[in-house]
Amino acid sequence: MNHDLPSFDDPAREREWQAQERALEDERAGLDPAADDARAGRYRMVARMLREPLPVLLPEDFAARLAAQVAVAPARQRAGAPRLESTLASVLAAVLLLAGGAALAYYGNTWLPAFRVLLPASGTPATGWTLALGGCLGASWLLGLWQRHAHGPAV
Amino acid sequence: MDDAHASDRALVDAALANRPGAFERLVREHQGLCWHIIQRMVRNPEDTRELCQDTFLRVHQCLHQYRGESALKSWIGRVAYTIALRHLQHKRIPLVEAHDDEGTPLTESVADDFDLEAACADAEIAGHLHDAIEALPPLQRTVLMLYYLEENTIPEIAHITGLASGTIKSHLFRSRLRLREALEARTGVAA
Repeated sequence: MNHDLPSFDDPAREREWQAQERALEDERAGLDPAADDARAGRYRMVARMLREPLPVLLPEDFAARLAAQVAVAPARQRAGAPRLESTLASVLAAVLLLAGGAALAYYGNTWLPAFRVLLPASGTPATGWTLALGGCLGASWLLGLWQRHAHGPAV
Repeated sequence: MDDAHASDRALVDAALANRPGAFERLVREHQGLCWHIIQRMVRNPEDTRELCQDTFLRVHQCLHQYRGESALKSWIGRVAYTIALRHLQHKRIPLVEAHDDEGTPLTESVADDFDLEAACADAEIAGHLHDAIEALPPLQRTVLMLYYLEENTIPEIAHITGLASGTIKSHLFRSRLRLREALEARTGVAA
């Protein structure tokens, strides 16, 4: 059973170990203890007590209840939780967009001239490339959003 | 792959495929082992019940990671052991004793009489031995239970606890010696 384990370096400990193992084997085999010495007898009593079954104080329906619990949980995870999350995210994005639009409508006349000064003059090659870069980034982001919506999150 | 491993693999595959009754069977087959490990570690039935539930929820969550390299009972036993270990760490309960009695001299030449059947029938002696088992540190109690009651081998216990086989052997040796000495203190010994 455990014969490939290295022996104890100390011969006295190894003999004690062998006595412990022999007592367990004898107890498992149900051998008559009459011939045992006191040491073997005590180790057999230890073995007998340790082999006594322990009461398992779980409810009768423990397994059934757990199985029912895990059967409901994945369904809730698949259907309920992500749907709620995506709904909340969509609502939040819509609120932010509306707030941004309202802020732009109310205060845009004050802000825009200041930003216009910072922007390069229209019609230059730099403006064209900047707009193209912005368009690419936007298209890539939208494509990513669509893919995630179509295929679900990566595992 | 032997029959037991093939049966474990089939049960895991059925549970992963959500076949009716498969996970319930898996729980029923291993709930005793789970209870034994956790109860021997934490010694509180209420906590043990809760931790058993946590164990099987964790098993369900990680079942796809079972590769069949070890017996399913060892794999589940390891989950139960880890959860009980975290509970003890959270409660700051030491797993083993701080002092090491590796160098304790052995009392080998026992020349007294010991009547096994009479001692087992003596409630006082049996109670004393029971108390000595309960007084062992959590790791030693658990290792003894796995070895004697669940009949796990030392390498299997090493897999469950994540400790080296040599360490398990040493714990087994020392705890059995301690229990023998506890019996000698009660029943008398003439060395």
